[in-house]
Amino acid sequence: MRLLLTSDNRIAVEQDGGVYDVSSVFDDIRYRTSADRMPRVLGVFLDRREQIEQAVASGEPIQVSGLQAPVPRPPKLIAAFGNYREGTDRERQEQDMFLLSPDSVLGPGGTVVLPNHPATIFHHEAELALVIGRRCKDLPADERALDALAGYTCGIDVSGRGLGRRGPSRIGKSFDTFTPLGPAIVTTDEIADPNNLRVTLSVNDELRQDFNTSDMEYNVPEVLSFLTGYMTLVPGDVILTGTNHQGLGALQDGDHVRMEIENVGVLEVDVRDPQKREWPRGVDQEFANRVRGSVRA
Amino acid sequence: MRIATFDEGRIGVVANDDTIIDVTDLLEQYDPIEQADMLPDLITHFEELRPELESRISAGGGKPLADVKLQSPLTRPTKIICMIGNFREGTDRPIQILDFFFKSPEAIVGDGDTVILPPHDASIFHHEAEIAVVMGRECKDLSEDEVMDAIFGYTVYNDVSARGLGRDTISSFLGKSFDTFAGFGPWIVTRDEIEDPYDLQITVDVNGERRQDYSTSDIERTYPDFISYISSVMTLHPGDVICCGTNHQGLGAMQDGDEVVTAISGIGAFTLYVQDDLKREWERGIDRAMAERVRTQVDRPAVPSSGGNNS
Repeated sequence: MRLLLTSDNRIAVEQDGGVYDVSSVFDDIRYRTSADRMPRVLGVFLDRREQIEQAVASGEPIQVSGLQAPVPRPPKLIAAFGNYREGTDRERQEQDMFLLSPDSVLGPGGTVVLPNHPATIFHHEAELALVIGRRCKDLPADERALDALAGYTCGIDVSGRGLGRRGPSRIGKSFDTFTPLGPAIVTTDEIADPNNLRVTLSVNDELRQDFNTSDMEYNVPEVLSFLTGYMTLVPGDVILTGTNHQGLGALQDGDHVRMEIENVGVLEVDVRDPQKREWPRGVDQEFANRVRGSVRA
Repeated sequence: MRIATFDEGRIGVVANDDTIIDVTDLLEQYDPIEQADMLPDLITHFEELRPELESRISAGGGKPLADVKLQSPLTRPTKIICMIGNFREGTDRPIQILDFFFKSPEAIVGDGDTVILPPHDASIFHHEAEIAVVMGRECKDLSEDEVMDAIFGYTVYNDVSARGLGRDTISSFLGKSFDTFAGFGPWIVTRDEIEDPYDLQITVDVNGERRQDYSTSDIERTYPDFISYISSVMTLHPGDVICCGTNHQGLGAMQDGDEVVTAISGIGAFTLYVQDDLKREWERGIDRAMAERVRTQVDRPAVPSSGGNNS
C-alpha cells in the first residue's frame, strides 16, 4: 500500500495508477494541523489496513493537485552517520546516529531554500527513509524489527558543510526545508528486501548518486535495533539510513533535484538561494575520495 | 509566575505559600487533543489567561506541594535544543564557535523520577546542570533585540550524558538521548520573575555532596546571541526548549542509588534518582580529569573549518 497526504489535507492511497481518498477511515482522529495529524494517523494505520482497502475498493479516483510530505513534522527525525561501504573493503565502522530538527521536513515539489550562513557547500544526500508505525523500544536486529515500520519513503538529507565546531555538522542539516521526504509511505509488504533497492539522484537531469541499499554497513533491522537500544520510537518518527557519498554534489540556486528509490517512489524538489552563490557543478569527487579515505576504521 | 505539571498531566500554578492551584480547567477552552497540547496552549494564550491565573493564586485554596507528584513541566516539546559548551569555565579563551545538538523528547523525566542507566558500555554517566529557556511563540529569524520577548520562561535542566559511545571521530551526542536522560523541573518560572538571567546560581548535589556550583554570569554567549542564531536555522514553537549548556567544572558520575538534586536560584530545585541494574561503580565526587580536559580543549577552531565533514 502507498499512503499519501495531499496538499489539501486528504489522506489517500495510490493504487493501480489512481489515487483514492481514504480520509474517512481516520475521521475519529482529532488534529489541529497536518503536522500533528500524521503521527496520530500512523499510530492506527497498520491496524486499519482492511478498512483502508475497503475505502479504496468502494471509492472513485480523485484528482490530486499536490502532495505534502507524508509526515510533515515527525516527532523525531534521526539520521545515521556514514552507513555505506562505498566500494571499500574496510571493517564496519562503529554505528552512530544523531537527531535533526523535525521542522526541516519539506514536501514533494517543495523548494529547498539555502540560508545565508557561511557553509562551504550544500550537498544532496539521497537516503532510504524509515517511517515508524508502532511505539517500540529494544527491537531485535532481524526482520522482526520491520514490524514496527509503517513503511518506507525517499529522503534527501541536505547538508551544509563547515558549520558548527567539528565533525559532521548537525546545524548544517537542520535548516528549515533541508529534509525533503516523500512522496508516499510504502508499506513493508510491498518491498521484498529493503537492503536491495537502487537509489538514484539527479540534478538538472544529470545523474549524480546511483547506489544500492545492499551496500549498507548496518542493514535496516540493525539500524532499528541500535536506535531503539537508546530511545523509544513513536509512530511518525522518521529515520534516514545514511547515504553513499560517492556521487554527492552541490545544490545551488535554480537546481531541480529528482531522487528515486526503486519500488518506493520519485521525490522531486527545487532549490533556491537568495544569495545566488555558485559551486562547481557535477559530482564532488574530492569529497567522495575524502570520505572513502577518512572513514576507515 | 510558576507553572507546573503534576499528578498525571494536570497543569497548575504555584503560589508563594508553596501550594499548587490546579488550572487545567482553564485550558479546556482551547480544546486540547492530548495532554501535551496544554502547556503550549497556556504559553500561547498566557497574556489573556494571566488575570484569571493571578486571581486564582490570590484566592488560594491550593494543595500543598508536598501532597502532589510534580512532573516535568514540559511534556512533549517539538524540539529539545542543547547548546554545546557555552561557559568560559575559568579560562580566558576566545569565544568558541556556536554549536548545538538535539535531544530525544522521549527522554524527559521530572521531579522524583528515576534515570535508568542503560547496559551500554559507556565510560561514565555524568550529570550536567543547565538553565533552560522555554520559547513563548512560534518564531523564525529573530533579531537579537526580539529574543527576550520571545522567551516564555526558564526552567532547570539536567542533561544526563553517557560518554564514550558511538564513533570517536565525530560528536553524535546520541549518548545523551537515552530514555530518562532529560530531567526538567520543578516548574517553569515566567520571564518577568527573573530580574537578571546572567546572575543565577546553578548547583548539583549528589547524595548531599555539592558537585556543580556555577553562575550564569560565566556564560560565553548571551541569550539573544545564541537564540537568534538558532532561530536563523529553524522555526521554533511555543514550548520548544533551548538548554543553555553546562559548566563542566564539577561534573561527576551518576550511579545506582544516587539522589541528584539540580537547582537554580530564583527558579527552584528538583530531584532525580538513579537506577543501574548492572550496579556499575565509578569514583564518587567531582570528575577532575573531565573538568581539566574541557578547560584545555584546543580542537575547536576559531573559524569554521573548510569541510571534511561527512555523515
